[in-house]
Amino acid sequence: MTEPLVAVEDLAITYGQGVEALAAVQSVGFTIGKGEAFGLVGESGCGKSTLAYQLMGYRHPAARATGRVLFKGTDLLALAAPALQRLRGDRVALVPQNPTTALNPAIRVGTQLAEVLHVHGRAASVEAAATRAAELFERVGLPTPRTIGRRYPHELSGGQQQRVCIAIALACEPDLVVLDEPTTGLDVTTQEQIIDLLIELRGRLGMSMLYVTHDLGVLAQIADRVGVMYAGHMVEVAPTEELFSSPRHPYTRGLIAAIPRLDGGPRSPHRLRGYLRRLELPEGCAFAPRCDEAEPSCAQRRQTLEAVGPGRAVACQRWRALGAIDTAGAGDGAEVAATDGASVLDVTGLTLRYGRQGVLARLAGQVPPVVVRDVSFSIKAGETFALVGESGSGKSTIARAISGLLPLVAGSIAFQGQALAPALAARTPDQMRRIQYVFQNPDASLNPRARVASILGRPIAKYLGLDEATARPRIEDALREVRLDAGYARRFPDQLSGGERQRVAIARALVAQPTLLLCDEVLSSLDVSVQANVLDLLRALKRETGVAMLFISHDLAVVRELADRVGVLFRGTLFEIGRNADVFTPPFHPYTHELLMAVPSAHLKRRRVPRRDSVALQGAACSYAGRCPWQKGETCVTAPPPWREAGNGLRIRCHLTLDELTAKAVWRAEGAAA
Amino acid sequence: MTTVTPSQAPVTPPSGLARFWRRAPSSLRVGAIILAIHVVVAVTGPLWAPYGVAQMGAGIPLSGASLAHPFGIDQLGRDVFSRVVHGGHIVMLLALSGTLLGLVIGAVIGLLSGYLRGWIDEVIMRLVEAMISIPFLVLGLLAVSAAGPELSGSPLLVIMVVAFLYAPRIARLARSAALEIVTKDFVTIARLRGESPWSVVRRELLPNTTSVLLVEFAVRTGYAPVLVGSLGFLGFGMRPPTPEWGLMISENRTLLLASPVTVLGPGLMLASLVVGLNLFTEGLARILGRTVQIGQR
Repeated sequence: MTEPLVAVEDLAITYGQGVEALAAVQSVGFTIGKGEAFGLVGESGCGKSTLAYQLMGYRHPAARATGRVLFKGTDLLALAAPALQRLRGDRVALVPQNPTTALNPAIRVGTQLAEVLHVHGRAASVEAAATRAAELFERVGLPTPRTIGRRYPHELSGGQQQRVCIAIALACEPDLVVLDEPTTGLDVTTQEQIIDLLIELRGRLGMSMLYVTHDLGVLAQIADRVGVMYAGHMVEVAPTEELFSSPRHPYTRGLIAAIPRLDGGPRSPHRLRGYLRRLELPEGCAFAPRCDEAEPSCAQRRQTLEAVGPGRAVACQRWRALGAIDTAGAGDGAEVAATDGASVLDVTGLTLRYGRQGVLARLAGQVPPVVVRDVSFSIKAGETFALVGESGSGKSTIARAISGLLPLVAGSIAFQGQALAPALAARTPDQMRRIQYVFQNPDASLNPRARVASILGRPIAKYLGLDEATARPRIEDALREVRLDAGYARRFPDQLSGGERQRVAIARALVAQPTLLLCDEVLSSLDVSVQANVLDLLRALKRETGVAMLFISHDLAVVRELADRVGVLFRGTLFEIGRNADVFTPPFHPYTHELLMAVPSAHLKRRRVPRRDSVALQGAACSYAGRCPWQKGETCVTAPPPWREAGNGLRIRCHLTLDELTAKAVWRAEGAAA
Repeated sequence: MTTVTPSQAPVTPPSGLARFWRRAPSSLRVGAIILAIHVVVAVTGPLWAPYGVAQMGAGIPLSGASLAHPFGIDQLGRDVFSRVVHGGHIVMLLALSGTLLGLVIGAVIGLLSGYLRGWIDEVIMRLVEAMISIPFLVLGLLAVSAAGPELSGSPLLVIMVVAFLYAPRIARLARSAALEIVTKDFVTIARLRGESPWSVVRRELLPNTTSVLLVEFAVRTGYAPVLVGSLGFLGFGMRPPTPEWGLMISENRTLLLASPVTVLGPGLMLASLVVGLNLFTEGLARILGRTVQIGQR
């Protein structure tokens, strides 16, 4: 074998000193060959980013590192600062997680790219740099590459900003690109485009990649080999396909099981329980406390990577006994609840504008744009209705209007058969109690200076009129309901993990004994494994409490698992609505189809449809026209599409007939394809 | 991504005062020593002061500094040192309570205004800005004259004037602190629960703005003695023969050439109190400011 481009040998990184020392990475070794894409995967806090930054020679001032990080034979850990500076951005480049903060908002993107060229002496003149910038912008698929360099970052969309970051990373034709969760903050459809771009660029330029992510589904598309990290240890290294078909380590198995499946098929029972507590790790295998297969000796004996096959290694003493683990297994799929109950929520012809209007703006006659147009749906008692769509589609806006935070422009909302006053102040306390909201980000939705007891106690006192002493058992009940220990009542939010915080937020909504729960992207800020646990919780709550849910998500797989009925929203227009199983089988609305095709999946190879330009036409009668791959020509621009009934309550709003839609559908559920 | 989970963030353990003292910024330590001396003098002073507050005939008027009369004797034959010692607690109490009152009023107005927004906010903030644009002393004098003669010379008036001057500035700060928090989802949740504005301010906003407000309180307290002294000097504060330091400087200023020490004495005390308070509060602000950062993480 030729010498690898990167060889990490016995690397350990420690933060802090003495008793407070924290081993972020422990005795990790791996190699990346020339032109190879290596994926690093693990939950938050496993040390994957810390490890990735070592390849840039970057280390937090408080961190100490031992071992070797060889890049083309040079040890980066021993390299002096000036030499590192020459290397960074030139031979090794970084694509950051969040392009919005990575780009300087005050400098034009072209100048930011040119800076890299100048620093590394790759451009003889300003003109040469500009030419090269245009070339790079074209290569990463940005529109109008000649002029886009004059724009500021805020004038670009999130996906375009990430393309700029990629162009900057590629500027000096590096040997290695380090990608730190490059698509995590992006929409599904944008994520798909970025991954396509990365695959294409790699094929063309032949650079090596280190791809860091918590999302195994993404790695299935792009990585040749994958390293799985847990609590600073590399627990398994394997070629991607083998990793998915026969994971050896119980943790890998858990990660794969946590990926929600679009086929609505069986879910593996091997779920991950608990979460990583770095302060309470045993001496031996760090995963032992969460492992279903652990034996007593696991907690004592250190586990080291052991070769188990060509290019495969696993750090588990029980790998032989466990054998190749079957990823598929029995489990509960999506369950369809009996939905013949009375209607809880009826939304009719809802039209919304966004934002509060300032006095000055009103005087100037400015009207904020309409973000939701003529949306109608209803939710029955105990039913979960999901609204899916990319960001900016107006999903959250609808939830805000239902909750009373946003005035209606037109349409009406009825709750339990009675018209609901649009303004919060005009609603009865009982209506406020019955409609509860759970937000996306539990960090922001819990008061950081309040203990869990008072976060849960206040709604109990407010809605049910109970004093502190009688509320206490209720608080404990509520915690138990979301599978948290009563001891959590004394904690502050920053003493909880992300998943626990979201549980507390859900518990706060549940103590009000609501009839309708508005769940606004409640899973999207959580790790995949935590997501699976909270998803299980929601499903159980649905069964136990019979609460109706409006479940807002951009994640189709999650929706597939949880929802009874689904509505697909694009730019504020509802394009498809129907029962879960019907929405996920042909005929599809073209946009539903696009969303389905965009979902990265660990369980199937990528299939592609030819893309049209991704920008929808402004002012067209169908808001999807222009972006639609199946567009029928001028009709779509001039005439509003009609609703078509497909039976079973499935309705699709499109100019194409149902037969045409069925014929064009490429996507098939994995289960159906098999 | 961080490799340090929240539970591992370095939490300062509830350690002893000694440990706190060692870690505290030096400005806080120096300030604390100066303040401690002032507090001891103010509290115990009346017990050991050689002469009474208004006791005349302590010595020959305008006789200058001596061992028996370190700050000399004023025109009326009163021992200036004794008067300074007697006056310490007055200056401190006026400054502290005035600032505290200003903090309470300012915080409530600012937080409510920041939460309610809309036209109420616009009106309150324009008023606040108008008040801030008027120089401190001019506004103070205006307030004193508006209060009328019956309140004149009362400590209550001085406290209210200090509060009146500070409240708009604190209100503006509290509002900007509130604006950052009202957009957070937990405030929205409270709004959706049908909580009253007052309840939202008390439960959600106040606990999350305490660090900012305490820093402001500390800094304002440091300047309050100057304000009290200035009012006294101009004759709009306490009435003679109250041994308020500013007033004493004003009374004795005509003697500046004859017996400079009668002005220098109270002047030095006032200066050292202000320096001490400022050093202390500056150090405190730095400690509190750090907790703000840790809190936000």
